[in-house]
Amino acid sequence: MKKKPNIHIIILLTVLFPWAKLPAQESGTQPLMPGEKPKPTQYIAIEEKKEHLVFFQGFTLSLDAYGPIAYCLSDYGTAEAALRLNLKNTFFPIIEAGYGICEKTDFNTQISYKTKAPYARLGLDINMLTNKFQENRFYIGARYGLSKYKYDIAGPAMSDPIWGGSESFNYKGLDCTSHWLELVVGIEVKIYKNFHMGWAVRYKSELSSTNNKLAKPSCIPGYGYTTNSTCWGGTYSLIFDLNWGMKKSHKKGVNMELRDIPQKQTEDTNTFQTDFNNKETMYDSEKAIEDGE
Amino acid sequence: MKRFYKAHILASAISLVLGSCYSNNCPLDNAVTCNYGFYDSEGTPISYGDTITITTLMPGYKTIYTYRKLGNPNIIKEFQDSSLIKLGYSETKAQHRRDTVLMNKIHDVSTIQLPMSFFNSVDTLIFSYRKISLKDTIKITHTSYPYVELPECGTYRFHTLESASSTEAAIDHIEISNSKVNYEGNENIKIYFTGIAE
Repeated sequence: MKKKPNIHIIILLTVLFPWAKLPAQESGTQPLMPGEKPKPTQYIAIEEKKEHLVFFQGFTLSLDAYGPIAYCLSDYGTAEAALRLNLKNTFFPIIEAGYGICEKTDFNTQISYKTKAPYARLGLDINMLTNKFQENRFYIGARYGLSKYKYDIAGPAMSDPIWGGSESFNYKGLDCTSHWLELVVGIEVKIYKNFHMGWAVRYKSELSSTNNKLAKPSCIPGYGYTTNSTCWGGTYSLIFDLNWGMKKSHKKGVNMELRDIPQKQTEDTNTFQTDFNNKETMYDSEKAIEDGE
Repeated sequence: MKRFYKAHILASAISLVLGSCYSNNCPLDNAVTCNYGFYDSEGTPISYGDTITITTLMPGYKTIYTYRKLGNPNIIKEFQDSSLIKLGYSETKAQHRRDTVLMNKIHDVSTIQLPMSFFNSVDTLIFSYRKISLKDTIKITHTSYPYVELPECGTYRFHTLESASSTEAAIDHIEISNSKVNYEGNENIKIYFTGIAE
């Protein structure tokens, strides 16, 4: 059973510690004395603290660490860098450029394929996190890719089963231009100051490649293998936020604004403290309005 | 932050799983043949009723050895057999054309698929009929080249038809309808036989 506080103890504590606030005072309600009327209240418009993201948040330079590792472990690899514009920490127009190399020989058919050429991609990432102020990002995006390249393809001797004879082939410098689209899903995590790291998974779809009478390209720089009409890829990015052309105060992208109380309370409102959580100040302002000053 | 590390690990796992999936896109119907269609002299598609055997001429000649001995049947071989000479056979050598049968005794067909030579510029086809003693010879001039769809699919030999001509025993005339011979299965040559379909 809950005990009620003894009234004598409360009186004693009030005398000994007059600065201590009683529970009723803490809650902000003033007990009315007998015959006292409640004071009229007036609504005072105070705009709450607002956080504004600066539109231009700087550039981001990123390097792909996955491409060179892939080249060491497989037949195809890339060296790639990207320059990205940060708009409101939400939209990231991006241009990616790199150099792709593919050298492979099929184990079963002994047909070899070689290509090395630059490529470029253009696209946009969108940060999907609701809190745009944090340094981490989860984004989806799209890319349009383009590469103009030459490839070599050579094969072993091929025999005619009926008429006889055999001949090998070696095609060099076959011209091709390929276009493709990519869907990107990725995350970025802040590691240290302006340095981020991030993963991205890419779903790629080949739009078109120049038709060649002799051979189709087996691997497109920047796209990957053309075994199917679509393929998967990935990047592991080392990302550096470059704050070119930005004011230092805008670095974090936060700009606080506080609108003052309406003009008719000029004199007293000038003395207002901006801390609108201060209840005593609020009470003074209400009193001033009531007195008609 | 913890949530991001988890997402990081998840993305890594997904990319590894996706990377492990692999399938090739090699054409399933990949026989490269020259496709012939049969028509009557007015261009109506027909099934030719007679039995046809198609042979082709091979380049060069082959030596045929014939062994004869009185009271024994003749023995024909493509290589020399000294054991037969020891048994009293006499040997005669002769140079023969190296023909090969491509289709044997087909009948009531409206289309045929025939291979083409990889390295010869002219293919010669001989059409033999059962009801007609005469034979037709078709000559097809073409170029050939290796084609690679994907390295894992191997090499195909595609051809480009340049000209086609024929004798006129049972055939009225022939024409090229599609000069590209590949594995897509399009009709390449139309053979018009004499007579009109009923």
